[in-house]
This record gives sequence, structure tokens and C-alpha cells, in this order.
Amino acid sequence: MNSLLKRKSRGDAWFDIINYTMLTIIMLLVLYPLYFVLVASLSDPNYIYSGEVWLFPKGFTLDGYERIFSDSSIWIGYGNSILYATLGTLIGVAVTVFAAYPLARKDLAGKSVIMWFLLVTMFFSGGLIPTYLLIKDLHMLNTIWALVIPGAGGVFNVIIVRTFFQSSIPDEMWEAASIDGCSNTRFFWSIVLPLSKSILAVMVLYHVVGFWNGFFDALIYLNDESKYPLQLVLRNILVQNQVNSGMMIDVESYAAKMRVTELIKYGVIMVSSLPLLILYPFLQKYFVKGVMIGSIKG
Amino acid sequence: MKSLFKGAGIVMLAGAFALSGCSGNGNSANNQAGSPDQEANFNKTGLPIVKEAVSLRMVSPKAALAPEFSEMEIFKRLEKDTNVKINWENIPDTDYAEKKNLLLASGDLPDAFYAAGFTDYELINYGKDGTIIPLEDLIDQYAPNLKALLDRRPDIKSSITAPDGHIYGLPSWEENNLGTNPFFHVINKSWLDKLGLKVPQTLDEYTEALLAFKTQDPNGNGKQDEIPLSFMHMQWCMDIAGLFGAFGLPDNLEHRVVRDGKVIFTATQPEYKEALNYFHEKWYKTGLIDPESFTQDAAQYLAKGKTNDETLGSYVWWEVEEVVGTERAKDYVLLSPLKGPNGDQTIGRANGGGPGRGSFVITKENSNPEITMRWIDQQFEPYMAAQIHWGPLDIVYKKDENGKLVNLPLPDGASAGEFRQKVAPGSGAPGIITFDDFGKVVDMEPRAQQRAKDLEQYYNPYMEKENYPNIFFEPEELDKINKIEPELIKYVNTQRGRFIVDGGADAEWDNYLKTLDKMGLKELMEIYQTGLDRYNANLKN
Repeated sequence: MNSLLKRKSRGDAWFDIINYTMLTIIMLLVLYPLYFVLVASLSDPNYIYSGEVWLFPKGFTLDGYERIFSDSSIWIGYGNSILYATLGTLIGVAVTVFAAYPLARKDLAGKSVIMWFLLVTMFFSGGLIPTYLLIKDLHMLNTIWALVIPGAGGVFNVIIVRTFFQSSIPDEMWEAASIDGCSNTRFFWSIVLPLSKSILAVMVLYHVVGFWNGFFDALIYLNDESKYPLQLVLRNILVQNQVNSGMMIDVESYAAKMRVTELIKYGVIMVSSLPLLILYPFLQKYFVKGVMIGSIKG
Repeated sequence: MKSLFKGAGIVMLAGAFALSGCSGNGNSANNQAGSPDQEANFNKTGLPIVKEAVSLRMVSPKAALAPEFSEMEIFKRLEKDTNVKINWENIPDTDYAEKKNLLLASGDLPDAFYAAGFTDYELINYGKDGTIIPLEDLIDQYAPNLKALLDRRPDIKSSITAPDGHIYGLPSWEENNLGTNPFFHVINKSWLDKLGLKVPQTLDEYTEALLAFKTQDPNGNGKQDEIPLSFMHMQWCMDIAGLFGAFGLPDNLEHRVVRDGKVIFTATQPEYKEALNYFHEKWYKTGLIDPESFTQDAAQYLAKGKTNDETLGSYVWWEVEEVVGTERAKDYVLLSPLKGPNGDQTIGRANGGGPGRGSFVITKENSNPEITMRWIDQQFEPYMAAQIHWGPLDIVYKKDENGKLVNLPLPDGASAGEFRQKVAPGSGAPGIITFDDFGKVVDMEPRAQQRAKDLEQYYNPYMEKENYPNIFFEPEELDKINKIEPELIKYVNTQRGRFIVDGGADAEWDNYLKTLDKMGLKELMEIYQTGLDRYNANLKN
């Protein structure tokens, strides 16, 4: 450290020190909440409320996790979420890429009309009730299709991917390939897709996160609890501890109910965000490259 | 280009027609459901209600962790007795309001909403536009249980009748009077004993006790960690609204009380100001009030009673054990209303009460309203009502020798609240258990009985005579109330907190009154007065 400081000018050294300090603080700010959730999930809820838990678990308990692992609705939700995220991502990425590639090609007739048509949907939507009626009349209510199909093609994503194709797949490549007798389909599968891994990774991440965290569609379209995704199950557990005058009449044990809820709250957050935490490092290396190129107009 | 758009437009229009045509067909098929057969199938009295099974689609909220109603024993029994099959669409109660509005707005209507939670506003507006149907004729013809009840209790009938004379929603009520005073005021008796103080009777004695809690280390751990008084600002059952009674005018969450048929807005009265000054000067300034009382949530509040060393001196909550746990509960006692500086000793009576009006509605899509009414009337038979509200026979109750429903012991490890919401739809469901039914038809839960006793012993002798009843307002009146009240109450509550914490009630009082005037306080109180006058006039008829 000393020798490192010596080789630099005084100003540079200070710059580094301040820089590192700032970055460390920011890192802690980002990491601590996550860490707190972990610690809190292992602590007695009463200590959490009295503010005594902050660095280490206090009143260590695994009750929360035990309850989570024994609650079937959370596991059903988990399974559903994985199913929706996988299926939704497959459909979503496919639709996005299939829409974006032709739009990136100069030789597509009526390109601007289609683009204009797509853009309009970014600004105007039917609204909740017409959308609900549409889904109902398509007989998609209470099926997983109501969750994975309507949101499949995001125009914003199509634009990002289209720009990526335009800027990273030169027309000359298609010319060269077609001279060698390559068909459009072959070109797309053998050349375009392998060259676009980074934007595909970004799309996968966007979609997975979107489906994983989404609960509103499920709330509106699903009736059957066995189809609920994890976030909705979670939400039902978390929102239910409010004191109101109805309770007076019920004379039920509010504190006991709430303790259970609080006990599993943090554990559930851990369990539900784990897949994303695991997924992210694998996609992260593509992330910067994909978004940067995709978002700069080429 | 132009022709292309035209083409697209035509395709879209055609699509829209196709879709609307589709749904239209579905509806008319539903409505026609063979009426002569239907009549032959229907029994006007007795059980089963229909010879051949009939299905109805009902939407209902349920506790988030409860099973679907179709799996509940009580509804299985009903189906067996009546031969009416209910296709339940259960929505977790936390999402119910959103989904109900969506169904109503989109016209995707079930045959009925059960435990419907319709507001007065919704009852009148959806009643007016025909989305839900008036029920009074159906009640007369097909609901002997409910009709008998309404004939016996005109007050219930008048309170579920809309201003336009129709009954749109069926009632839900447990008339146990437990909600009259939600603010149970608790003090640490073992500390009082230790410090050689008697249980406070007056406000000044109470202040003295709080001060002793703070300064004389009653928990004996050598630290000044005692919290003399903790509460939750303007929260049901946790606020100090009851303590305002020591100055002659108890407060409540609406700041609205009734004396001799006159509506009074408490938060502009001199007694209220005097109380605020007292609380600031004597309590807040000297550190007797837990500063977190104004910000904490229930979880934090409840944790305060369960710290390693006993730290809570006095608090407000409707059950002692909930806050401090069963072990410590014996250290704490309830306080009757304290006698104020001018000798006043009174406690408020919570507003509202009376039957919920919107617990069951039948929609215009229902092609079997008579069957539906006969089905729901089963639940207005007192024994059935009790089972619907708290749980079925042989699971929660058994019948004793007098035919009364008495509680069976709970299964091991289950709390009453958790267990009951799994076996019965609960308190929002249709059905009325009247005051007379308690003790004759059904026993109150043990904890409710305790509560009733506590109320009797500590609070009833000092309680205000009147309250503001649950009045069915006209839509225009509701509009005005909804426009004025939320903002106004929010302002009053913020100021109340400020006056207790920072003081200055005297100096800022005129300004405060002027702001309230500007916000429409006068108009609001006039509406409430008109409503009350109308209600009282109706009672005499």
C-alpha cells in the first residue's frame, strides 16, 4: 500500500482514497439491506422490532424456514413461478427476437408502417377493463396463458434488440452469406443468433425478472389458488396483518397470527429472491455489452 | 397506405363484433335456462330446495390462508341439505376489493356476491343501474327466517333499507356489543405495588404513577429503560382517545360524538384543547409518552411488551395478553376511566355498530333468484348463522343439553383465530346473531366472554349514552362526505399529534379552527346531523 501510494502524486493518492471510500460506502449501502434480511430471517421477531438485530442474528431460530418449507402453498407458488418464468421467457424472447430481426433488415417492405403500429401501443393501451374482457372472451381466464401470452412482445424490448441487430450484424455479412447460397432462415439461426448471445442474455434476464416479480396479472386473471405464482402467495401472507374494527368482533389472536407472519416474512424474501441472485452472476458478463449496444442507435 | 389502414380498421371492427356477439349469446342462453322445468324442480318450502341439483356461481372473499369454500365442511353440509351446488370463486380478502370492482365494471357478473362487503355507495349505485336486484319481495316470499327476524327487529330492517326504499343487500351482524369501547387502558400493577402506589383513580394520580415509573426504576435493572406510556396515535383500539374523557368529552377515531341527539365534532371543543395541553405539558414534555407512539406500527408496539426486562408501564390495547404475553399479563390491570381535573369521568362509545348491509347481493345475471334467496335464508336461522360465523357443529361446537352451541376444545397447537378462519367464512358472512341469541343459541368465545365482563366491570358505568349509528346515506351525501372528510380528518390528526408533541395548542388554535372551516367542517357536520335526524325520525315510525 505504501509503495503504491509513493508511485502516485499526492493528488492521485487522495483521489484514490476518496474514491475507494465512497465506493465502499455505496457497496455497504447496497449490501446491507440484503444482509439484514438474511440475519432477520434467522432472528426472533421481537428482537427485530425492538431494533436489537442489526449485525448478527439474535434469538437464533429456524422456525421461519421450517414453516416455509412445510407450507405447501409457498412451494406450489414456487413451482408455478418457475413454470411461468420459463414458459413466459421462452415465448417472450422468441416473439421479441422474431419481431426484431425482420425490422432490423433494410429489405423488409412496410417496415416503417409496422414500426409505427408497434410504437402506438407504447403510448395507448385499452386499459384494465377492456383487457380483462378480451382475456375473458379469449377464454384465457384462470389459465396460465393469461399470464404468459398478453405480455409476450414488449415493444421496448423489440426496439432494443432491433438496434442491436442493426449495429452488430452488418448487411455485408448477409450479402456474403447469400452469395454462398445461404437462406434467410439459415442465416438467422447459424449466424445472427450465435452472434447475439449478449442481447439474448439481456432479454432472458429482463423477462425472467419481469415474470418472477409480477403479481398483478395473476391477481386479476387467476381464481384458482393452485395456480398462484410465488409473489401472489407471498403478498397474501404479508398484507393480511392489519388491525381493524372487524377484528374486535372476531376476537382472534392478532399477536399470534402476526408473529407467524413476521417470522416467515424475511425467510420468504430470501427464498423468493434466491433464484434471481443465482441467475444474475451468470448473465452479468453479457449485460453491459448487450444493453449498451442495444440502446445506442447505430 | 390509406387503403391499408382502411383494411385494418375493417378487420378490427369485424373482430370486435365477433367477440361481442360471442359473449351476448352466452348470456341469453344463461337467462333462458328452461323456466317450466325450473318451476317443477323448485320446492317453495322445506328441504331440499330443488329436486334436481342446481348450480349457482358465487364470488366471495376468504381469509388468505383459508381453504376454498367448496372444501369447507359447513358448505358441504349446506349443499347436501339444499341440493344447491355453489360454484365458489374465492378471492383472498386482501385482493377482493380490486377484483370485485373489476367484475362489476366489466359486467362479468356471478349469480351472487357472498360476504360481499358492498359499501352503501355500491349498493345504491349498482342497485339504481340494475346490476344488483332489489330483494324485499324475494325476502317476503322465500326467506321465512330473515322475514321473521326483520319483523321482530324493525331497527335491523330500517338500517338495511336504502333511502329509496329498496333492500339491495342482506345483513351481517354479531350483536355482542364488544366494540362499544375499543380503548382498553392497561397499567402495570406490580410496579405500582413495588413503588407503594395505589391504582390511579384520577388523571393526576395517573400522571404521578407514570412519573414514578420513569424515575424510580421499577423493573430494577438499574437502567432508565422504562416506557411509562405507549400507544398508537389514532389507531383503532390503541389510541388514547378514551383518556380525553377525563376532560368531559371523550374522543374517538372520527372525532364525532353525539349528545342529546346533537352531533359534536370533538376536535374543535375547548375540552379537547384542554386535554391536548395537559398531555403535552404533563406527559410529553416530561418524557412520559413513548415518542414512538406517533410512528410505530403494531408489530413494534407489540414487541415492546415482550422485551427481556419488563419495560412497559401503561398502554392501550384491547387485550392485555396480546401485548405482554400470558406470563406477564398477571402484572397488569385494566384502568377505569380516570377522573379529570374538573371531576369528569367518562368514556366514549365507538361510532357505527349495527348490521352490515352489503353482505349478500344478487345480480341481474342470476336466473334463479328464488332458489338463491331460499339458499341464503338458511343462513339466517340462528344456529346456522352461528356456525357460518364461527364454525360448524362437531368441529368448533357441540350442542349441550339445552340445545345451545358450546365451544369444543381447540385442536392442539391451533390458535382460535387461525383455526376458525379455516373452517368457516367468518364475521363478514351473511347472517345475524342477535343479542338474545348469545347465551341461548350460542356461547360467546371464552375470550369474548372475558371481554364482555371487562367492559361491564370497568367501562359500562361511565360510558356515553349515545353514539353515531351506522346510517344509510344518500349518494349525494356520501359524495360530499367522501370529498371533505378524509382530508379534514388527516389534518386534524396531524395537528393533534403536533399539539401533543410540540405544544402550542393555545397559540395556534384560531388558525386551526379557521383551516377546518375552510376545509368544510360545517357542511360535513350538517350532513351528519341531517342523517342522524332522519335516522331518529325513522325509529319513531
